[in-house]
Amino acid sequence: MKFKLIYPRWEKLEGQTIFNLPPHGPVVMAADLPDDVEVDFTDENVEALVIDDSPDFVGISMMLTTQVRRGWEIAGQYRKLGKKVIFGGISTMLHAEETMQYADSVFLGEVEGRLSQVFKDFHDNNLKKVYNFMNKPPEMNLIGPARRDILKKDLYYHKGFRMVDLFHASRGCIYDCYPCAVRYLGGRGFRPRPIDRVVEELAQMDNNRLFIVDNSLALDTQWEKELFKAMIPLKKKWVSHTIEDKDEVLDLAAQAGAWYVYQAVFDTSDYIRNRIKQYHDYGIAVEGTILLGLDNQTEDDIKRLIDFLLEIDLDLAEFTVLAPFPHTKAYSDLIKQGRIFDTDWNHYNAGKVVYHPKHMSAERLAELYQYAWDTFYKDEPQTMKMFNLINRVVSREIADGTFTPRRRDIADLSFGKKVPKVA
Amino acid sequence: MEIHPSLNKYMDCYYDFLGQWDSPSRCGLKIIKRKDGKTLAIATEIYRLNPGTPVTEWCAPLATQIMKEQNCTPGRFIFVEHTPDMGSKLDFYDETFDLVSFQVADGKLTNPQWKRLSTAEVDDLMAG
Repeated sequence: MKFKLIYPRWEKLEGQTIFNLPPHGPVVMAADLPDDVEVDFTDENVEALVIDDSPDFVGISMMLTTQVRRGWEIAGQYRKLGKKVIFGGISTMLHAEETMQYADSVFLGEVEGRLSQVFKDFHDNNLKKVYNFMNKPPEMNLIGPARRDILKKDLYYHKGFRMVDLFHASRGCIYDCYPCAVRYLGGRGFRPRPIDRVVEELAQMDNNRLFIVDNSLALDTQWEKELFKAMIPLKKKWVSHTIEDKDEVLDLAAQAGAWYVYQAVFDTSDYIRNRIKQYHDYGIAVEGTILLGLDNQTEDDIKRLIDFLLEIDLDLAEFTVLAPFPHTKAYSDLIKQGRIFDTDWNHYNAGKVVYHPKHMSAERLAELYQYAWDTFYKDEPQTMKMFNLINRVVSREIADGTFTPRRRDIADLSFGKKVPKVA
Repeated sequence: MEIHPSLNKYMDCYYDFLGQWDSPSRCGLKIIKRKDGKTLAIATEIYRLNPGTPVTEWCAPLATQIMKEQNCTPGRFIFVEHTPDMGSKLDFYDETFDLVSFQVADGKLTNPQWKRLSTAEVDDLMAG
């Protein structure tokens, strides 16, 4: 039985350095496929999709809101050929009702222990319109090692350098952050994976550099410390979202290979200044994530925030404008107030303004967004700052014997496409 | 039934409902039978204490369900959404009230439209 699994392409942010990371949702999903299913995976961001093949069954995995329209388009093409199409993934859940119009079936929720029934139903010509497992999380010990063997790994190299692999150690979140939908997607509880299962998966991964994609690692101190202790012997180097600010936790994180963290910078307080310094004191670099366009920001606030970023010695910064994704409080509030003027999901890329900001026009916010990028990277371009970060991890890898040299056989390729060769 | 101490004025109990995709969900609820014969329902978003769908996202089905349970008709039913002050530094977690108006189709409330109310306006509605 041939199952074609597709990860639709999306338009990248204008002017930003393009990095295509190997997707996480499809490899986690593939781990639950029945043994008799032969999976053929296409990530349309790094390779062309061939529609005139003949799979038995088609799956479309979508993470971003900016993927859904392309996903629906692909489904239409396969359904015209008489193929059944099932959708799953984060943005399928966010856009479930709309997606149902383009699908034979949608899968909502987490897959572990559930795909055997879906494929049996397909085989019996009894596919359900909806497999609804929202708010019914599986046992965490059912989450096995992701099927990274389905990825065409050479497509995730940039000029011979391998990109990080994505990995997760927990699901769900206890917080209700304004722009975030994790509460809806993963539930309001924090659900850590058993440490031994996490280590089992990490030990199988042939990539030394990881992005731990958990919403936050700072939700259970004891688990966090045990996780880092267990990771130390593996010598991985990793990027993650926030780590707890306790010294003993940061010390263990550094020993476990913390390379850099994404830290939300939402004001110009000493709390933020000290938080960045604390990471740096433990040798952990910081990429600030800065959300622009919130109702508490005036033009002056945004300019002050950008000045502040230049003072606090961030290693990288990523600017986004508020994108009111469905099932977030941001979306609810803006809908209530009638402030969303653009409902084209392709524009919900966190780089375009789709709503009326409170203290300025949409056009002015778009200008300030560009001003933020230009100002922060004026003296040292983004590529140079990133190069510095890579140098830091390379030094650590050489020191602990985990360094893998750049692949010269694909040094003229960037995510599968020809580029000038690096010396 | 446990009641969040900061919410007492605008909620008398927790109210359990099946939200989107049948997700078990919970909000705060206060029902006032007014002297003019109208029924006022105040549904409070309780954030982390709600395991499922937020009130705003399930506003029309939730209001319909409460209205029917109160043996009320659309013309005699007033529905207010309440978000409590969460003590956050961020002002989108301040206390808000919205009067919700609906269209009616086959006895169900649909197409919600929200109008921000002051606390004084809510208190007036409660006084009837």
